[in-house]
Amino acid sequence: MNTESRKRALQHFFEKVVGPLGFKFTPDVELKEFLLEQEVALETKHGIPFCPCQPLRHDRARDMKMVCPCIPFHRQHFDAIKRCWCGLFVHKDVLDPNTLPQLTPKDVGLE
Amino acid sequence: MSEEFVRVIAAEEIAPGGMKAVELAGNELVVCNCGGVYYAVQRRCGHMNAPLELGTLDGTYLTCPMHCAQFDVSNGEALSGPVPSDLGREALPPMLGAYMQNIGMLMAHVRTESMRAYRTRLVAGWVEIAL
Repeated sequence: MNTESRKRALQHFFEKVVGPLGFKFTPDVELKEFLLEQEVALETKHGIPFCPCQPLRHDRARDMKMVCPCIPFHRQHFDAIKRCWCGLFVHKDVLDPNTLPQLTPKDVGLE
Repeated sequence: MSEEFVRVIAAEEIAPGGMKAVELAGNELVVCNCGGVYYAVQRRCGHMNAPLELGTLDGTYLTCPMHCAQFDVSNGEALSGPVPSDLGREALPPMLGAYMQNIGMLMAHVRTESMRAYRTRLVAGWVEIAL
């Protein structure tokens, strides 16, 4: 299977999920392409496009909360930092994603 | 090589985003209406032969109803294999467990192949396909 074709398909499906949640793909094209490529690799290995920036714990209930786009499972956290954990998605009003620090839930007072 | 187009189905019979199975000279096909652009691919999934018109079509992306393998109907390309299922945490009855284990072992060797895509054209409200 072709990685580039799968990346375009994932982008097609993800946009429909994240758009209504107030998110968009990062305008950093290089980062977007890199992360999508990693997701295709994870999907090829596991059958599911997990978030490439979080470890698999082999606990299905927990791992399914890391299936990209995982925004609905971490909404409060990601809304607070205006990006998802790996930065593939940012709030629609974000123009420069490099200004957004990667803060933990604890950093933003959620734990 | 010259291709002969054959009138297969009235375009209005397939709603946008819809699919319909047809048979043409012994070949099983699915005709897909992707927003007014019609594509035709083989009817049987490139993974385990499920009838694809029972799946879902989103843009040109078709998802198989059996194991959720995905294909691009514009060229027949396989995009992803089956999605792993979760049978839950409860142990299966021994006979069923052994059966599922055997099925799992066999399925691990099944590849998801790209599908044959057919040339199509729209003529006077009819979808024509070249075999």
